[in-house]
Amino acid sequence: MHLLQIAIKDTMPQSNLIEKIDAHSINIWTYIAIVEFLIIILLVIYLFYLKRRQTVSKFEKEICEAKNTDIDMDDLMLSINKSRELYKELSRKCHPDKHINSEFQKEIEVLFQEITKNKRNFQELVKLKDIAINKYNIKMN
Amino acid sequence: MWYKIIEIIDWFGEMTERFKLIRDFNKAGKNAFISGIAPTLLEAKITNGDSNYRHQFSKFLGGGYRIKALSGRPLNRDEMIEIGKIILENKELVRKLIALGWDTLEVHDNSGFNGCKWPLKDYANIGGYLN
Repeated sequence: MHLLQIAIKDTMPQSNLIEKIDAHSINIWTYIAIVEFLIIILLVIYLFYLKRRQTVSKFEKEICEAKNTDIDMDDLMLSINKSRELYKELSRKCHPDKHINSEFQKEIEVLFQEITKNKRNFQELVKLKDIAINKYNIKMN
Repeated sequence: MWYKIIEIIDWFGEMTERFKLIRDFNKAGKNAFISGIAPTLLEAKITNGDSNYRHQFSKFLGGGYRIKALSGRPLNRDEMIEIGKIILENKELVRKLIALGWDTLEVHDNSGFNGCKWPLKDYANIGGYLN
């Protein structure tokens, strides 16, 4: 009997400890479950979003692309303020009538057409100017 | 419900893009004026636009993209038309303007009521959607 009492006394603190550990572990598992549940919800939302993106029509995709295009405003400002002068200079220097019997006559005609086509695009005009100077040896101011 | 949430997010994204486009233009205009590239300071702002030029994406009371000369040399009619044409020939910009809900491009002088306006839908072809 005495031995049994001693044995019960010895096991009492251990059982309390087990209860404490159990309570603590339940809390952790609850939190983990909540986090998993939230992750599942987010994945479901993402799946809906992907499904919607797949079902959008070609036009809607084009509209989305148009919305997200980056416009270089500095280039636009240069086109507004400088393209006219550059076009005048290029059209004067690269006019096909000025290069009638030259070896690049046909190429310069094409170049002049390109210049006319891009008369309001400063960046393109700069590129064409470089071509005129480097490829066809046209002298510019 | 998710669609509604996505629509609300899209709406906010669109508004951000609209204001970003205006801010970028104003910043570039200011830099060009300060550095001496531009003789006139140009400013972009949102106006009501012309109701005759409305299309499927038009924003209510915000369909006009106005470019206005603020200071420096006043713009004459040819210059205003030239500015308008440069913007209209930039297809990417026109498509972006259309997609973000603008329907009218306006170019105005700094004084008086002189100005030009163009319907943007005539210059953009987003997959044939507008025609």
